[in-house]
Order: sequence, then C-alpha cells, then structure tokens
Amino acid sequence: MEIKSTDRDDFRRIYDGNYHLLMQVVMHIVYNIEIAEDLTQEAFERFYVKNMTFPGEDDARYWLIRVAKNLALNHVRRNKREIELVEKVRHTPSASVETRDAAQAAVEADEKRAVRAAIESLPENLRMVIQLKEFSGLDYKSIAKVLGISETNVKVRVYRARKKLEEALSTEDRDVY
Amino acid sequence: MCIDSQMLSAYLDGELPEPYRTQVEEHLEHCAACRKHLEDMKALDERILSADFPEELLDRNKERILALLDKKCFQSGKKVSFIRRRLEISLPSLITAAAAVVFIFIGGFMFFGTSSEQTEDILPSFALQADSSNVRYVSNTASLESFTLEEILQYLDSKGYNVDISIKGLQPLESDPAAVDHE
Repeated sequence: MEIKSTDRDDFRRIYDGNYHLLMQVVMHIVYNIEIAEDLTQEAFERFYVKNMTFPGEDDARYWLIRVAKNLALNHVRRNKREIELVEKVRHTPSASVETRDAAQAAVEADEKRAVRAAIESLPENLRMVIQLKEFSGLDYKSIAKVLGISETNVKVRVYRARKKLEEALSTEDRDVY
Repeated sequence: MCIDSQMLSAYLDGELPEPYRTQVEEHLEHCAACRKHLEDMKALDERILSADFPEELLDRNKERILALLDKKCFQSGKKVSFIRRRLEISLPSLITAAAAVVFIFIGGFMFFGTSSEQTEDILPSFALQADSSNVRYVSNTASLESFTLEEILQYLDSKGYNVDISIKGLQPLESDPAAVDHE
C-alpha cells in the first residue's frame, strides 16, 4: 500500500509503527534519551517535509531508519568532545532498578555497561549491522536495504560482529574475575 | 566435518535457506561441539539484548512528540505542495545559472573587447565604423543637373505649366505689328 508522507493518516500510521524502532536505533548510537527524542523527531519531520511517496510501509521504514541513523551518527561525530565529557553519566538507569536490591542492580548495570562498551568498540560497519539485528530485530533483507549493502554482506558482518563481541566480552570477564 | 561458524550464525538468525537449514539441523543432532557453539552464540545474543533500553524509557514521549509533529506539520497549514518544493530546490540554482550567463557575456566583452582591428579579421562587415570617411551619400534621387532643359520643359509642359523662357541680355526680334498697321 502506497504511503504518502504528507498524508495525515499515513504519517500517523508510520509514526506509530516506527517510533520505537527509531528511538532504539538512535539511542544505541547517542546513549542519551533527550537527544534520541530530538533526533527521532527530526527524522519524522524530514519524512514529512520531503513530501515523498513510498511504494509500501517497509520502504518508508527503511528510509526513516537510514535518516535517523545518519542523524545520530552525525550528532555523535559533531559532539564527540562533549560526549566524552558526559561519558560517565550517559547510562540511563533502568526503570526496574528500584524494585530490586542494590547489589543486583549494580551487577546488571555493570553488565550493560560492558556490553555497550563492547558494541561501541566495534567498527562502525559492524556496529550498525549488529545493532539493527539484535536490538531492532530487523531481518537480513531489511538491514541490507537500510544500509545499502547486499544480504550476503549483512550475513558476513553479523557473524564478524558476533565473533568480535564474543572476544571482547570474554576478555573483559577475565579482567573482572 | 563441522558447520562453518558463519553458517551457524545465519542459522541462529533464521536466515539460512534450504537445503542448508535441514543439513545444519541434522548435523546438530549428533554433534555436541556444534550444539555448544550454537548455545554460546545464543547466550551472547541474550547478553547483548540485556543492554537494550527498556521500552517505557524509549516510548516515554511518543505521544507528546506525535502531538508536536502533528501541530507543526498538519495544523499550521504549512502544506508543502509539490510545485513549491520543486521551486524551492531549483530557484537558487536558477539564479546561479542566470548570473553565470550574464557574467560570461560581460566577461567576454571585457576580455575580448570590441577592438575593430581584431574584429575586422574575423567579421569585416561588423568592423566598419560609421565616420565621415566611409559614409557616402547614396541617395537615388536625381538632381536637376541630370536633365536637359528640353526634358525639364517637357516635364513641366506635361504637368500643365506654361513656361516662358528668355535668355538674359537678348531681346527677341520683334515684328512690330503696330508699325505695319501704320504703314
């Protein structure tokens, strides 16, 4: 079904179906909820302003992810210095923290930090693929469309990213214990 | 022979096409090492997923931002028409193009000038300057000198004029009728 970005109903449907996904993609790049919200909003604004017609919802989704991802990556590049300054506070506490005991929460926070650090240490081409795969739950075909690469390439990158993450996380374990 | 790790990774993602998928499943049934490998990969995936952000955090402002966008895009009457968009894109480039044309035109005159010596070599007809030396009176109207007296008289006669011509200092010979009468 054709999607017109300036049609109010189409816009709303695309927004509802993709807001969470875009937030997730952007959040895993910028690690800041306010900035992620700003960038996601901008992505949807561009979607409207572009006044485009997409052949289907999937195409609109790929376009939006691509735009949001690029906005986020640009933001990170532009603000590298400031981001490094707030490095320590960027990890937002999970909402369930209060209901568990502090020790458990601390362990979980450590684990999250380790995984995020490992993902961040990946080269960008591997990082984007594994994030879209693991967090956004996109299939290889969608990832290929978003990133403009072949499905085979996606398959290879997912595998390489997993391998690297495994190495990074296992060496970290050794450091910890 | 055990399964290639890359294949196993694709299998885990449910992206392995047939017949490989069945082959992998069959192999997994009797190969503990590969099962272990797959389990490790699954565990890693779960670990990675644990670093995801909670849904309520990501979606906390979903409605607010939608309302904001709705206001900004659909309620302000700022409808972006097809034609306006196209114009918005093309106008600066149009101006640039026009400026370039004018610049080249003027620049051409500035650099190559209108020096008649140079132009004469290329286009002689354009090089002539309109001064007294090369402008001649080329009117077709004939002057009075080009006609004989007879022709003039004939012409005037045809127009109905009665012309009396005399030459200065000469008296016509007069036969004096009065004198004849007197005689």
